[in-house]
Amino acid sequence: MRLKRFFLRYYPPGIILEYEKGGNLRTKSIDLLDLSPQTNPEELVEEIRQSEPLITESRADQVKQLILRLQQKQGQQDHHRFCFFKELKAHILPLTNVAIDKSGSRFITGSYDRTCRVWDTASGTELHTLEGHRNVVYAVAFNNPYGDKIATGSFDKTCKLWCAETGKCFHTFRGHIAEVVCLAFNHQSTLVATGSMDTTAKLWDVETGEEVATLTGHTAEVLSLCFNTVGDQLVTGSFDHTVGIWDIATGRRVRTLIGHRGEIANVQFNWDCSFIVTGSMDKTCKLWEAVSGKCVATMVGHKEEVLDVCFDLSGQLIATASADGTARVYSATTHNCILTLEGHDGEISKVCFSPQGNRVLTASSDKTARLWDVHSGVCLQVLEGHRDEIFSLVFNYEGSKDNTCRIWY
Amino acid sequence: MGLLSILRKLKSTPDQEVRILLLGLDNGGKTTLLKQLASEDISHITPTQGFNIKSVQSQGFKLNVWDIGGQRKIRPYWRNYFENTDVLELAELLDEEKLSGVPVLIFANKQDLLTAAPASEIAEGLNLHTIRDRMWQIQSCSALTGEGIQEGMNWVCKSVNSKKK
Repeated sequence: MRLKRFFLRYYPPGIILEYEKGGNLRTKSIDLLDLSPQTNPEELVEEIRQSEPLITESRADQVKQLILRLQQKQGQQDHHRFCFFKELKAHILPLTNVAIDKSGSRFITGSYDRTCRVWDTASGTELHTLEGHRNVVYAVAFNNPYGDKIATGSFDKTCKLWCAETGKCFHTFRGHIAEVVCLAFNHQSTLVATGSMDTTAKLWDVETGEEVATLTGHTAEVLSLCFNTVGDQLVTGSFDHTVGIWDIATGRRVRTLIGHRGEIANVQFNWDCSFIVTGSMDKTCKLWEAVSGKCVATMVGHKEEVLDVCFDLSGQLIATASADGTARVYSATTHNCILTLEGHDGEISKVCFSPQGNRVLTASSDKTARLWDVHSGVCLQVLEGHRDEIFSLVFNYEGSKDNTCRIWY
Repeated sequence: MGLLSILRKLKSTPDQEVRILLLGLDNGGKTTLLKQLASEDISHITPTQGFNIKSVQSQGFKLNVWDIGGQRKIRPYWRNYFENTDVLELAELLDEEKLSGVPVLIFANKQDLLTAAPASEIAEGLNLHTIRDRMWQIQSCSALTGEGIQEGMNWVCKSVNSKKK
């Protein structure tokens, strides 16, 4: 084994090693999820050398420089204020979900008008209209980090795979017997998982377009799903109040997480695949160990349903959105509620972290999106202008039921 | 609840829940009728972009009324909403496969206007008497005053009852 070069990953912090083994180029990543500006770089280099044989004495100084670069990035103050850039109004019926590619240069919107549209973020111009579905396009996704393919899930019971560059439809995945309402690519971009109102989830091969597996076992609709980073497991959340963990290779259910007393609104793995977080209509959010399936914490405090939940990229924080009009930030390690974000005049249906994990963005039925500082809990900005409830958002853009999508820079 | 509410409403509805599609010409008064049903303020209504959904309790039934915009450019999308519909309130759609057997109620709206055509004239104009494959009813009403709406809804509950039997 011979180390060829280093790549730096800012969010979540990590160093990627490119090395040669048996004549083949390979990569592996050293995740530095606990890195902070206060971390001692010398000690960390020592620690990495203990566990990683590729990092030899001669490379130690280089690794230290990389760690300093990562810390420098973390220490950067971000005082950016978002300005309203452009309103896109091409759909004549309400939007459903939106998604963005990794670089943020393109994004996609699904709509009740049965199309999915691909947009150029910088100019706000439409690049492609993906037509072919016979009913509402509900779920949309990019195959990040590559961003060259798009998957769309529709109420017409099918899922379609598209070329992001040309807008050509590669495959139509047929097999569900009810609406497709959630979908995801694995991080390797070899599989698409779809969840349906028919109570099943299915796995599809991106290359061949064939169905790989049907994940059966839920007794009610599958509303959310998430692959882990390595791609060997999928987690599904259902209206039957349970969460399923599935082995990708066999299509078998390895664990059922039971404990919530209401429908599961969303479910997510953290970056290093050790924990799963779930938000439920029972007003709580639960943290589960991915391997044992044990519930390690129930996070309470919300007075109404939890409608969305997510980890930050380093997996240290959890944000929840609730029908009680507040969002909360919990520590994933102590399970304490660190912040309650108050200010919205209506239900909050979506929440997400910035890649750095220092900002939280919320979308509400009060027609605004709000940007919050994670350290102080202060609302930094109110993004106003939508004329109806906001349904979906991701960092630096959002979609709404008022048929428009607004870009904020 | 954002998009989750749409999925909840999409869920297979129990027996005592009915989905009603409210379709018609633009400016026909569909949204006014819906708001009147839900006892809401009707003084500020603008053309519907997209749709409104309201749930109304009536005679032990939960009526989920979907009010879909009537403008010409939106009409092709009505089809999106046809599946699982229990009652339909406009002609012309009678040939639609997904809506076969669904009872039709026609509201002869705007009867508060002196120039409004009476229900009998509309029934004749629409050739309602030729409909044999489903139950139908015409009800004169005024969404503005609320007159006739309750009678129409009573018929809806009655005909859904007999259809389910």
